[in-house]
Amino acid sequence: MSARSQDRPSQDRLSQDNALRSAIYWRALIYTLLIVIAVIYLAPLFVMVVTSLKSLEEVRLGNMMALPLEITFEPWVKAWGTACLGLDCNGINGYFWNSIKMTVPAVAIGTLLGAFNGYVLTKWRFKGHNIVFGMMLFACFIPFQIVLLPMSQVLGILGLANTTSGLVMVHVVYGLGFTTLFFRNFYEAFPDELVRAAIMDGAKFFTIFWRILLPNSGPIIVVTVIWQFTNIWNDFLFGASFASGESAPITVALNNLVNSSTGVKEYNVHMAAAITAALPTLLVYVVAGRYFVRGLMAGSVKG
Amino acid sequence: MGFLNIDNVIKHYHDVEVLKRINIEISQGDFLVLVGPSGCGKSTLLNMIAGLDEITDGDIWINGKQMKGVHPSKRDIAMVFQSYALYPNMTVAQNISFGLEMRKVSKPERETAVSRVSKMLQIEPLLNRKPSQLSGGQRQRVAMGRALVRDPQVFLFDEPLSNLDAKLRVDMRTEIKLLHQRLDATIVYVTHDQIEAMTLATKIAVMNGGVVQQFGTPEEIYDNPVNTFVAGFMGSPSMNLVPAKVIKVEGRLSYQIETKNAGEPLLLPVGRDEMAISKYLDQEITVGLRPETITDPESANHTEGTVHEANLLVDLTEPTGADMYVVTLLGGQEVVGRMRNRAKAAAGENARFAFDVSRNVAFDKASGERIQ
Ligand SMILES: Nc1ncnc2c1ncn2[C@@H]1O[C@H](COP(=O)(O)OP(=O)(O)OP(=O)(O)O)[C@@H](O)[C@H]1O
Ligand SMILES: [Mg+2]
Repeated sequence: MSARSQDRPSQDRLSQDNALRSAIYWRALIYTLLIVIAVIYLAPLFVMVVTSLKSLEEVRLGNMMALPLEITFEPWVKAWGTACLGLDCNGINGYFWNSIKMTVPAVAIGTLLGAFNGYVLTKWRFKGHNIVFGMMLFACFIPFQIVLLPMSQVLGILGLANTTSGLVMVHVVYGLGFTTLFFRNFYEAFPDELVRAAIMDGAKFFTIFWRILLPNSGPIIVVTVIWQFTNIWNDFLFGASFASGESAPITVALNNLVNSSTGVKEYNVHMAAAITAALPTLLVYVVAGRYFVRGLMAGSVKG
Repeated sequence: MGFLNIDNVIKHYHDVEVLKRINIEISQGDFLVLVGPSGCGKSTLLNMIAGLDEITDGDIWINGKQMKGVHPSKRDIAMVFQSYALYPNMTVAQNISFGLEMRKVSKPERETAVSRVSKMLQIEPLLNRKPSQLSGGQRQRVAMGRALVRDPQVFLFDEPLSNLDAKLRVDMRTEIKLLHQRLDATIVYVTHDQIEAMTLATKIAVMNGGVVQQFGTPEEIYDNPVNTFVAGFMGSPSMNLVPAKVIKVEGRLSYQIETKNAGEPLLLPVGRDEMAISKYLDQEITVGLRPETITDPESANHTEGTVHEANLLVDLTEPTGADMYVVTLLGGQEVVGRMRNRAKAAAGENARFAFDVSRNVAFDKASGERIQ
């Protein structure tokens, strides 16, 4: 008995050592794999950044993966201010602002309307609320292409064809199914007792929404904003169909820039323009993503 | 007419009748406890009083005013919810004053009211915290503060203590009782804890299956339960309900109860309601014996001459510190008696039991209704 218990610890240590070693191997393997995948994913971005910082000669002569011999911001300045899209040579900045003017209101309105729909569908149930919700859900599955013709007719009737406001409306309408779905599911789990307490406290329909529901919707607002922002900012089809020319969003402009066939292809300028077009969505992920995770954590610890 | 009058209230959810003709009437300053098992309709009734749910039929009157069609916020009622329902995005102070703000009370007045209530409930140091930074007991207090600050005619509590641990529950119970006495408030309080009901109430309504089984003072409910449901629900340990036969022994109306030593039944004189019970002569009934009426001879109250002693086999003893619960088999059922802690009783042996027969009650075997 005593002999046994004496050599037990060393055996334990042995098996512990083994376990530790195999855990390290596993970890090394996993990290290697992750790094390889990350490199593969980041390679195009790397090429874009590197190319955008090279002069045109260097782009033409050098290796695609090579770092620039001489860093120049010329392509960025050109892409922003003087690059030619078709005949006019004012760069992409006007279209960038178009996209901002389209995306920010569309995201704000779409999110707010979705929240409001979710509020009514869960806290002020009416007869047939499930049918209404089902129909909104259905809207999520309608492909872009089907909407195009009827939508352009509607925009024409409303006099919003080829305007940024028209695009805002299109994106709000198209996104409403998703934003409603997000908020309805979130508010479904939102305690009814809070609403009842507010009713007893004398709060009215809209006050309850503004003062009780919305301030407690942080995580789902972030999710919806990320979703809507990336979808609307990156949209090409609606932009190309409903807002050509002056009021086109940046995605369409980028396409025009790349397809402008005067002289040589300025890859460095194209890359700079493409990165510029992608920056806002990256920014939204970096800024809001952190709140998103924080929101999730807060939700899970709360009693 | 009482201060709060629940008049023939019926509630249907679709086809299901959840409340079946509820009639309850209490006076100003009463503490009404609605008690009953889960799903019996307590919360539903409370929501009807609050106006949060529509009444199918019948009406509710508060201080002589008909409540049909009156919005919850216009009923001069405050409610404390089971989950406390504190607004997570607001501080404690904002939570308490939200109702006043909605009623357009000016800011200085709101601040005075908040400080008055927070002093009363001793939550002053917490005023700037968010609900998520509070313990369960503190949240409970804040929820009460939110109700108190409005100084309503009627307070509604829906199981306010059920989320607290046992010790805190007892503390808060005492506090609510003190608060009631101090404020002379009219309170309707929902619980399924019968001890809470007994300790807090001036009036109890025992509910089951959407029906008020009995409405009365805690003493009435405890001493004179109208049926076996009320008898079994109120009291802890609950009343022993034992099959017995009504017989006459030496001219005296008695209960004959089977014991474990089969040949020798226990004979207990009928101590009350003899007129009614005599109609059941030679019939099977159910007799209800409170555990505290079954004791050791030394701790029995012999002054009334209603104590009857017998030797019975002890099945099990459960010392609790203060008392000892003693289990014996009567009428094929485990019967619990409450003896002194050091009473002479041991499992597997015979012990001397004393029955105070003046407090026994009899029920019809089939219907479970009280015979009296
Ligand atoms: N909105 C509703 N629709 C249909 N049935 C309901 C609804 N609300 C409550 N009920 C039913 O009404 C009955 C009474 O419910 P209620 O919430 O009043 O019970 P309770 O006595 O408060 O129970 P507990 O002690 O569990 O809180 C239950 O059977 C419940 O299923
Ligand atoms: Mg309930």
